[in-house]
Amino acid sequence: MAELGFHWPSLVVYLVNFTALLIILYMVGFKPILRVLDERSRRIQESRDQAQVLQEESVMRQGEMDQQIKDARKEGQAVIEQARQAAQRVRDGEREKARQEADSFISKAQAEIQRERDIAVDELRREFGDLAISAAERVVRRSLDKDLHKDLIEQTLTESDLLEKDGK
Amino acid sequence: MSAKNVFRALGLSLIALFVFGFVIGAIGSALFGGSPFLPTPEVHLPPQPVFESDAHEAHELHKLPSRFMLTNTILSSLIASVILVGLFFFGTRNINADARPKGLHNFLEFIVVSMYSFVEGVAGRGNTRRFFPLFATMFLFVLMNAWIGLIPLYQSLGFMNDGHFERHLLRPAGTDLNMPLALAIISFIFVEFWGIKTLGLSYFGKFFRFGALLKGRIFEGLIDIFVGVLELLSEFIRLISFTFRLFGNMTAGEILLLMTAFLVPFVFSLPFYGLELLVGFIQALIFAGLTLVFVTIAITPHHDGEEGH
Repeated sequence: MAELGFHWPSLVVYLVNFTALLIILYMVGFKPILRVLDERSRRIQESRDQAQVLQEESVMRQGEMDQQIKDARKEGQAVIEQARQAAQRVRDGEREKARQEADSFISKAQAEIQRERDIAVDELRREFGDLAISAAERVVRRSLDKDLHKDLIEQTLTESDLLEKDGK
Repeated sequence: MSAKNVFRALGLSLIALFVFGFVIGAIGSALFGGSPFLPTPEVHLPPQPVFESDAHEAHELHKLPSRFMLTNTILSSLIASVILVGLFFFGTRNINADARPKGLHNFLEFIVVSMYSFVEGVAGRGNTRRFFPLFATMFLFVLMNAWIGLIPLYQSLGFMNDGHFERHLLRPAGTDLNMPLALAIISFIFVEFWGIKTLGLSYFGKFFRFGALLKGRIFEGLIDIFVGVLELLSEFIRLISFTFRLFGNMTAGEILLLMTAFLVPFVFSLPFYGLELLVGFIQALIFAGLTLVFVTIAITPHHDGEEGH
């Protein structure tokens, strides 16, 4: 072995050299680099977790927003419906009022016409009575008792009215 | 001058240098007469002392004295260690997770991450942290000691005596039997330590397999005992295989470079330098990788034959 270079003290030196190098490299090199790598991995993991949380929160918020929009739409439709019903009620009321006014106007007009007609009929009857008496006086050449004959004429006219109505 | 012409000029220069080296080298000298450009290389397997008094004593004893002395391989190993520590010290100063890694820090981080991934792939995520420092130090130490010898003029430094080259000042530590042996011993210690620490006394079960024999299965029991003895032997044989694999490869590489430079100086050695770069990397990976594999095997619970496997 000595020919190959085996040497106890050198072996011990190499053992010490390597052990010391192992410790120093671990303290000076590997440990700091691994610490930095761990820290970086931790941050990346944290960022990933945070992104996950934000995504979940965003999905939740989106859901809430959708719900709010849905509620608002429903509420809006209810308001529109209420407004429509109110408008309908107002329209019906106005229509009813207008109809009542028109009916009242027509009734008044009809009453007026009736009254005018009654006046005209009375006028005509009166004139017709006078005319009939005058005509009869001319036929009989004497004066007639006006009051007496008037009753007769009235009766005749009434009968003629009745006949007229029956004829219709 | 275009790039094509530059390459052409460079190629012609290399060819001319090769021809020149061939003529003045050992082969050319033998063919054309004259003495070779370089003296005949002498291969010394044992390391040489750095100091004159130690060298004188070693010369008289025809071997290294049995006491501590600074040899050229130990000096080289110390330089390699200092370079590694220096690289990591300056590369990891003031590092923090906020700053973007750049320069030496970035390079070291790349190396550490690559080695870490390798350890993770072999030993599993749970064991990476405790095995990584040993693997990484072993890999870097072997690699640095292999590559440091390829630095131009590194092995040309030495001491002259009466006009002839007496001893080298620096020699790669891988060519000293003691360095691979020391690493093999450390590998052995860690393998056994982690095996016992993880499995407790059951770790020794793979060496002493008496289960089948005690249950009356004689043939199977004898085979188990034989396998156990082989396992036990292989633990110690690893010391030898680890040592001589690295020592042989590093020494052969050195001799190869010496001989190529002697036969045809200058250009002819260049491809072999490239080869030695690769050999250094592979040997470092094999040494550290095998240690990692053996450690991983050591901490894996084993099952005796009587369990039906």
